[in-house]
Amino acid sequence: MRSKSQTTLLRTVGLHAVLVPLALIWLFPIWMMIVFSTQPENAIFSSNLVLLPSDQFANNFALLQADTGFLRTVFVSIVVATVYTVVSVFLTSMAGWALARYNFAGKGVVLAIILGTLTLPYFVVVIPQFIMVARDFGLGNTWFALIVPPLFNSLGVLFMRQSFSMMPGELFDAARVEGVKEWQIFLRVALPMARPTIAALCIILFLASWNNYLWPLLINNRPDMMTAPVALGSLIGLTRVSWGGIMTGAVVLTLPMLFAFVVLQRHFVAGIAAGAIK
Amino acid sequence: MSGVTLSNVQKRFGAVEVIHGVDLTVDDGEFVVFVGPSGCGKSTLLRMIAGLEDISGGEISIGGTTVNDVEPADRGIAMVFQSYALYPHMTVEQNLSFGLRMNGKPRDDIARRVTKAASILQIEPLLARRPKQLSGGQRQRVAIGRAIVREPDVFLFDEPLSNLDAELRVQMRVEIARLHKELGTTMIYVTHDQTEAMTLADKIVVLRDGRVEQVGAPLDLYDDPANRFVAGFVGSPRMNFMAAKVVDTTPGSVTIETDNHGSARLTLPVRQAFQTGDAVTLGIRPEHFGGPDGDGTRLTVNVDVAEHLGATSFVYANMATGEQLIIEREQSRSEMGKTELTITIPPARAYLFDSAGDRIR
Amino acid sequence: MRATTRTAYGFLTPYLLIFAAFWVWPIIYSFYLSFLSTRVQPWTFNPTFNWGRLIIDPAFFNAFKNTMIILVIQVPVMIALATLLAVLLNSHLLKARGIMRFAFFAPVVVGEVAYAAVFRLMFQADFGVINKLLALVGVAPISWSSNPTAAMALIITAVTWRWVGYNAIIILSGLQSIPEDVYEAATLDKVSKTRQFFFITLPLLRPIILVCVVLSVIGTMQLFAEPFLITNRGGPGGATETLGLFLYRQGFTVLNFGYASAVAYTIAAIAIVISVINFWLGRDPK
Repeated sequence: MRSKSQTTLLRTVGLHAVLVPLALIWLFPIWMMIVFSTQPENAIFSSNLVLLPSDQFANNFALLQADTGFLRTVFVSIVVATVYTVVSVFLTSMAGWALARYNFAGKGVVLAIILGTLTLPYFVVVIPQFIMVARDFGLGNTWFALIVPPLFNSLGVLFMRQSFSMMPGELFDAARVEGVKEWQIFLRVALPMARPTIAALCIILFLASWNNYLWPLLINNRPDMMTAPVALGSLIGLTRVSWGGIMTGAVVLTLPMLFAFVVLQRHFVAGIAAGAIK
Repeated sequence: MSGVTLSNVQKRFGAVEVIHGVDLTVDDGEFVVFVGPSGCGKSTLLRMIAGLEDISGGEISIGGTTVNDVEPADRGIAMVFQSYALYPHMTVEQNLSFGLRMNGKPRDDIARRVTKAASILQIEPLLARRPKQLSGGQRQRVAIGRAIVREPDVFLFDEPLSNLDAELRVQMRVEIARLHKELGTTMIYVTHDQTEAMTLADKIVVLRDGRVEQVGAPLDLYDDPANRFVAGFVGSPRMNFMAAKVVDTTPGSVTIETDNHGSARLTLPVRQAFQTGDAVTLGIRPEHFGGPDGDGTRLTVNVDVAEHLGATSFVYANMATGEQLIIEREQSRSEMGKTELTITIPPARAYLFDSAGDRIR
Repeated sequence: MRATTRTAYGFLTPYLLIFAAFWVWPIIYSFYLSFLSTRVQPWTFNPTFNWGRLIIDPAFFNAFKNTMIILVIQVPVMIALATLLAVLLNSHLLKARGIMRFAFFAPVVVGEVAYAAVFRLMFQADFGVINKLLALVGVAPISWSSNPTAAMALIITAVTWRWVGYNAIIILSGLQSIPEDVYEAATLDKVSKTRQFFFITLPLLRPIILVCVVLSVIGTMQLFAEPFLITNRGGPGGATETLGLFLYRQGFTVLNFGYASAVAYTIAAIAIVISVINFWLGRDPK
């Protein structure tokens, strides 16, 4: 029989023998993104194996800027994602609050609908959404079109509802007895207490909007109102573009999110996990 | 003047009625305690007075005004909750002033009230802290302080001490009694702990299954319970009950025989008329048994367990039928280790209840 | 109306308005559209036009077939891998836990376009780093963009890379909600680690894995950006054309909204049927 410490050692070695190579494989595409973004065009398309970064990031980015006016699209993306996140957090927390803390006629129906949309593919609504916004309203290429239609979000509501319903009810009764109005209870008591949940929700919403591709691709075709992913996507498949440039765009889109992920990993993970555990 | 009056107050959740027509008058400045086992409706009743639960029937008035449709905040009440319900993201000072600020009270008025409440409760050094940094007792003080700053006509307490450990509970109990003396405000207090009820109340309301069983001063309930439930609920350890039968009646008195205690006979003065053979229950408190030389019916029991607390002992005597008697004895070393004990039941201390549980007088 | 009902709807109204405008109405409108002939203006009511075409359209069936292939291969592989990763990442023997988790979770924050671009470049046939690495171990260059099987493998690889961490996060949070003392009790009963995994961990994780499967199925049914960007609009020759891409083409390239709506409803129906089957297969045996 093996001793306990031998068994533990064997297990530890086995565990890392599986995980370390897998982890390297998983990091490889992100690493290559950085490598490509810093290599000159002729190095990317040479027959040599290039696995280390070089110093051409600025040049590549200048090429990308020349191809698309990328900085403007990054600006559009930042504005859209920020406004979207703020508005959506408000909408979903208000709805989540109502569903968590009041008994009212029609509550079951509202909840069932919200849950039901979770299993409904977005494609069912995207065509008429497009017809309505672009053709009927004539609002293609506007901030409204980028921000408002994607606002409906059932995960956010369920997430906030969960958070609010775990708070002790006596807290809100105490405020009621003190004559605090319902909307003040929501704003001044419930929302501050839900701060960790809101942080997680903000991250998830911002990320979703930042990376959103299909809807902005459909609704905007004017270069000055394109979001960054759409602009970048429009270059892929064209012949006379700089791939180094495209990679700098990918890095600009990805690295801030990766950085945020490292700093706020706990909130990211909470947000993603909460989305599924309902 | 702010008394509270409940007339025929009812509460239904859907088809289930949980409060069945409660009538009650709380005088101005009175300390009233609602007591009863869990699920008796005492908290629901309190929350109805606060306005946190709708009233399904009847009328509640505070200070002479019907408040059925008045918002909680406009009823002139303040409430202290079981879980303290302190806002975790605010400091003690912000907790105390939150309601006043939200209602647009002038700043100097708020400051005056907060300072006063803090000094009454001796929590001035804690004002800048958050609830997380406070002990249980300190949180309780802050919760009470938050009620005080409202300068209410009526204080409502919902089991405020049940989250504290035994020692703190006694300490805070004394504190609340002192507070009532100082403020002289009407207070309604809910608890399941009869000791709290006995020590704090001017008037106790015993509730069971949404009905008032008895209302009265603590000692009146102790000396003169209206029924078996109240008799068993008030007093610690609880009253002993023994099944018995009527064996003889004369006008103005009745003689009963206990079923399981060596057929002990007892003659008691009652006005009610009885027939021989009627089943009754005999009740006697542990502290009212007499010694072997006492007056009344003599009874010999087998000692099961004896707990010696120093000044007194509690003797648990198991009967062959499974009935258990608790007997309080003055501590005496000579009785230690005895397996048999002779006691007496003084007729003046014995209570009789009919088969429905009502008191026979 | 009772006061609480009024208050509650006060809080719900903005959200419900957005829902009504951008979900309820489109869903109804989309259904109506699927019965219109929208090839030419003006649109006319013709109930059999789109639905009749759908059931005989070889292009639709090609997209359906490809989507099902991806579904049947990619979802099980990814969920199994995600479960394995979650268990390994949860091990208390793991060193450098933070870095390890970062490696697998990082793709979750990478956008579709960014990762599609990198994969397209990495898997480029002539100069791509993957073929160069394969050459080091003696594998002949694979023409990822012109070989249908290779192109399909590329899509499956890419989607798995992007989403395995996401599922692992969900499963990991499920793992962490299993109380430690269950395992301690099993260890005292001399149950081996492997058996503990199969007889304790897996049964307790089943509901959560089921959720992952359903989410993945819905996601696969809508797969769009990967074949659009990585394999150049579903190439080679429609070999990686998915339902999502087919719908995009019909709706927004050809602008045949009626037909696209019929396709959208079909996608939704298939997704719902598969989800229901999943839940039915994975129901609690009682």
